[in-house]
Amino acid sequence: MDVFVIGLAMQPASDAIRNERLEEFVQRTSRSALDDAGVSREEIDHVTLAACDELDGRSITSMLLAAPAGAYLKDEMRVTDSGLAGLQLGCMRIAAGDLHLGIVASWNQSSIAPVEDIARMRAEPFYLRPVGLNLGIADGLFANAVAHDLALTEHAVGQRVIQRLQSAASNPRAVRRKPQSIREINHSEMVAFPLREGHRAPITDGAVSMVLASGEWVRSHPDVKPLARIAASSSAIDSYRLDRQRLSGLHIFQQCLKDVLARAGLESVNDVDVVELEAQSGWYDLALTQILNAGEDVAVSPSGGTWAQNPFFCTGLVNAAEAVLQVAGRSGAHQIDGARRALAHGVAGYAQQAHGFVLFEGAL
Amino acid sequence: MKRPNVAVVGVGQTDFRSRRDDKTYPELAQDAVLLALKDAGMLPEQIDAIVFSMAPTEFMGVHDCEKWSVDYTWARGKPFMRVHTGGATGGSAVQAAYAHIASGQYRTVLVVGADRITETPDAQQILNLIWDPFYEQDFALNTVTMTALAAQRYMYKYKTTEEQFARVVVRARRNALNNPSAHLKGKIEVSDVMASPRISWPYKLFDICPRSAGAAAMVLTTQDVAKDYCARPAFLTGASGVSNTVFMGDRMGSSADMDIADQAELVKAANECYRQAGITNPMSQIQVTEIYDPFSSFQFPQLESLGFCDRGHAQDLSDEGAFDMGGAVAVNPSGGTLCTNPIGVTGLVRAAEAARQVMGRSEKMQVKNVHNALATAIGGSTQFFTVTMFSDEPRGGATIL
Repeated sequence: MDVFVIGLAMQPASDAIRNERLEEFVQRTSRSALDDAGVSREEIDHVTLAACDELDGRSITSMLLAAPAGAYLKDEMRVTDSGLAGLQLGCMRIAAGDLHLGIVASWNQSSIAPVEDIARMRAEPFYLRPVGLNLGIADGLFANAVAHDLALTEHAVGQRVIQRLQSAASNPRAVRRKPQSIREINHSEMVAFPLREGHRAPITDGAVSMVLASGEWVRSHPDVKPLARIAASSSAIDSYRLDRQRLSGLHIFQQCLKDVLARAGLESVNDVDVVELEAQSGWYDLALTQILNAGEDVAVSPSGGTWAQNPFFCTGLVNAAEAVLQVAGRSGAHQIDGARRALAHGVAGYAQQAHGFVLFEGAL
Repeated sequence: MKRPNVAVVGVGQTDFRSRRDDKTYPELAQDAVLLALKDAGMLPEQIDAIVFSMAPTEFMGVHDCEKWSVDYTWARGKPFMRVHTGGATGGSAVQAAYAHIASGQYRTVLVVGADRITETPDAQQILNLIWDPFYEQDFALNTVTMTALAAQRYMYKYKTTEEQFARVVVRARRNALNNPSAHLKGKIEVSDVMASPRISWPYKLFDICPRSAGAAAMVLTTQDVAKDYCARPAFLTGASGVSNTVFMGDRMGSSADMDIADQAELVKAANECYRQAGITNPMSQIQVTEIYDPFSSFQFPQLESLGFCDRGHAQDLSDEGAFDMGGAVAVNPSGGTLCTNPIGVTGLVRAAEAARQVMGRSEKMQVKNVHNALATAIGGSTQFFTVTMFSDEPRGGATIL
């Protein structure tokens, strides 16, 4: 795609943002992204938002958030799937040809949202809601399915959580967390067999804004140095049914991976230097990396992934920001030397009903 | 690489009524998809991606209603995203689908949505929750009282009478007699509108749209695919939107960029849409408008902001019949939002009706010789606006892929 990332900003990682309203930290994040890009809000021609009414506690959350995100008197649109979906729509809006400079913004202040209550209301009312389906149970069903079909063990899951926490410790944008022992993880509270609390990535608050520009805009502004080019994007959704075939097959994940690589003209995931996965638990992380089947030269979630920060709804956009920083050489202590291509992954829906990827290439 | 031209090749709508207890939510969506695919002459496997049009889920009570609909809309294994810009959702969803295709990422895209507003006992209580919890929710604001304030301001500025708003309702209900999907329809008089119960001055009951349940869908594709399926597709030649602040007080007075009474945001959106579509004189070049009018007060400021007449003149043109079927420009031949309002898909219905006019498939609603038809959608605190143009000729200068 002839679309570039020219600036970005992330809200400093935090389990709970108590001293600011949502509007305030969203505004500050978009302001910082514009500053990072070296452009003014007046120059942008559109904004694409990704936000969830239910988590934000407003029936149309963009009513209050569009202007703080930068959309005052701009052409604005919103998706409700995930932060990564917002980025994908933002890219397509620019690639369509009439829009040239825009913001993609997503956020989540889940520390003040009853996440599991909201998740329960996501379920259809006839079959799933009466059995009490929520995030924990859906993720437990997933864990059970992959434990059997992919031969994943609780011990391996615990080890993966420890590995991600260690990676996050070197990420300057991660929430600081104390190391966990395998014993602590294995004895943490059972959520839904075999998923334990210690297997889950803590949900945090957060916000991300990116400034996107068309190739035409970039070529006419040689003073602006893009951070990355959007090489390709893919997404797909699976059945709403939580049957075992859907859960452990991960067919949509595989299909999206294949699609994004093909669209970028790459033969395999080993042509990518970095992959940032959205995995809400160690079970997801192990399953996705097993299906990914990347070689040793591919760094998977060097940021620590969701254990670094996990503003739930916009975690995919956090992954995208981390991927951009990798190819721009701005990651910090966990920078992968010579990273040229980085793949960001995002999910949506119960037990990862939808998957998406965005592939970034170094722009220089 | 030049972008592909984008065309509508099929649309579908269910009947709209207060309640659709005969169908579950995803079954309603499925019905609309089937109608749109049949209209397009396509099969589900020919759809490359789906854009789901759905506004607040609290009306129907399932937060993941669109994901519940995946298996019913043949979306499994395909890109799928939900767009939500309040009442403007359907307009934004169509424009998102346009971006899917014009970007070169996908060839054929389905837009589908469903809503059932009466699943909740009082939609206006939910619509109170759209406002700021600290400053505005306690003011008994809902979409009726909010727009009534703007209507009062419009009446003050342009000396509009309640009877002039009532004539808009009479025209809408009359037009809807030709629309088999319309929720409200009938031959009524201005006196009937004036005699209906007072809700919030200047609104009476008949000045206000119904709460509707139903679904709509649209199939868009590239020009090269369209020519194999449709002799007269509706090309999407202009797509634009604008978003304003939520705060109504910031949209009036000397320091305001735009006046809430005028819906002047549409000037900005329309100018961009017209630039794309090559429209320089809306009144002579556009034959049909399907504008978003959940209240009788919404037509005049929109028609003025869209460039059909000067400020304060729409009410006189309306009285003279300029916006009737057979008038200078036919406004809402379908009856518009005043007659049918399934909020999450209303903007999509506007776009579908405009596209059908260009395609010559509007049956009893059909306006003769339609070359350009315009659709609007409005959401939030009358703060989100979309303008979309459908034309019988593709956008000039673009290369067909």
